[in-house]
Amino acid sequence: MFQEAYRALKEAGLPLPPVEGERVLLFQGEEVALLELRNKDVPVYVDLGIADAGVVGKDVLLDTDRDLYEPVDLGFGACRLSLIRHPSSTGPIRRIATKYPRFTQRVVRERGWAADVVELSGNIELAALTGLADAVVDVVQTGATLRAAGLLEVEVLAHSTARLVVNRQALKLKRALLKPLIQRLRERSR
Amino acid sequence: MRPEGTRFYLPPEARLRQELLERLRKLFYAWGYEPVELPALEAHDPAHPLAQKAFKLVDRTGEVLALRSEFTTALARMLQAEPPPLLPVRYQYAGTLWLRERDPELGRMREYTQVGLEYVGASGPLADAEVLALALEALRALGLKGVLEVGLPGVVGEVLRATGLPPEVQARLQAAIHRKNTPELQALLRDHPTPWARTLLALPDLYGEEEVLEEALGLELPEKARADLLALRRTLEVLGEPVLLDLGMARRFDYYTGLFFRAYTEGFGLPLLGGGRYDGVLLERAAGFALGLERVMEVLRPPWAEDPPDALALDLPTLKSLQAQGMRVELAWTEDREALCAYARQRGIRLIGEKGEVRPC
Repeated sequence: MFQEAYRALKEAGLPLPPVEGERVLLFQGEEVALLELRNKDVPVYVDLGIADAGVVGKDVLLDTDRDLYEPVDLGFGACRLSLIRHPSSTGPIRRIATKYPRFTQRVVRERGWAADVVELSGNIELAALTGLADAVVDVVQTGATLRAAGLLEVEVLAHSTARLVVNRQALKLKRALLKPLIQRLRERSR
Repeated sequence: MRPEGTRFYLPPEARLRQELLERLRKLFYAWGYEPVELPALEAHDPAHPLAQKAFKLVDRTGEVLALRSEFTTALARMLQAEPPPLLPVRYQYAGTLWLRERDPELGRMREYTQVGLEYVGASGPLADAEVLALALEALRALGLKGVLEVGLPGVVGEVLRATGLPPEVQARLQAAIHRKNTPELQALLRDHPTPWARTLLALPDLYGEEEVLEEALGLELPEKARADLLALRRTLEVLGEPVLLDLGMARRFDYYTGLFFRAYTEGFGLPLLGGGRYDGVLLERAAGFALGLERVMEVLRPPWAEDPPDALALDLPTLKSLQAQGMRVELAWTEDREALCAYARQRGIRLIGEKGEVRPC
């Protein structure tokens, strides 16, 4: 994601600092500083205005209640959020394990399932394999991992690609830089 | 044990907070806004916009009470109970509010302080310009370099209504416009064709200086939306100061019937104040705004040094005579000179006063 986003922003003419060599967290440039963050942290940095803009997957945005502008679909990093079950789990869903608790809670509410949502931090397939949960909601790229583990992708709940997110104030106060950038990114991802 | 989301305000922060409140009180009063005080305990009303988030208590009669969670509703109740003899009226308020959850929209405390005003019983460009001018003046009074951003959520609302699309589709269009999510908006409009598509796609990008107002007037618009934009143009002429516009504001257009505005400052990611016009929602004609004091303090980052008093007086007559000269004076609590001098040195008090005389400690 970082490499792809870097290329997209660079091609759209944003003067980015070079990111070769040592792995650091903060690349300080002349006009633009780059932060490398865990995907879940991007909405936090942007909402609080520490970062003016960020690149993050729609899957993360679906699981946050932060109020950000989302002006561009960058098109790369495609994946989907799916409902996954073990072939032996066929009854009504009672417990769903996921890294996406808010999104999953919404799905449960909309469908009126009587299911508990359990938040885990990773290796979600294990929850379905070990019987911790009778269904999981997780990110799927090709589905190969799932098939190898003998799990079924029951339903695609949402599609995700990388998005440009912008802080609500920054878009207005730094519009001289951001408005043309958004325009160029939109043209590029058409 | 201190409950989550509450804070102690020690010196000198507490004094600075009071000073800021005082500055705003004076400013609003100079424009004719009279202070009112409203009860912190209210009858719980499930229809209240923040009813879900309010702290609730049980009265001895078994009825549910709520702690005050915002001022506008409280003020509307006051006016229903005590209708003013003459309109328009101007009120200002300042005080503590409580919410059970931290709400990013309202600062991140559960107990927080808001100061604001309501201008009741007048509508139109002059009244709107007055409220905007006061918002700008309030920022200046606090020593903040702020930008005011003004929008008309009703414009998006009118266009959405004009499409006649099912309510759930309108809600999704509204959410996409609110997030300026043009890709999603395009996809939705492909699935639900409407003659208003061009206008809906243009609205999210109509932000910036006042030229966007002219751009908006060049679009296909419902009658009422056009009239509202023309009224906004008139308001800005009356105001005579530059503001930023965002005509893609799409939130709570059933509440904000006219303008909606916020103030931003460079280098701080959250709005400092917010307000707008809500005719007919709680009151027939009303507009106002409120500032969050905690946020303002965060932006100002005032110097955290305490101001020591000027002198330490050994007797009451000396204390009074020094105070009469405009000094800030503390009274000694013991005869022990050494202890007094040590205390004065530590506090940074430079003078000792005795029998009407002062000398360095």
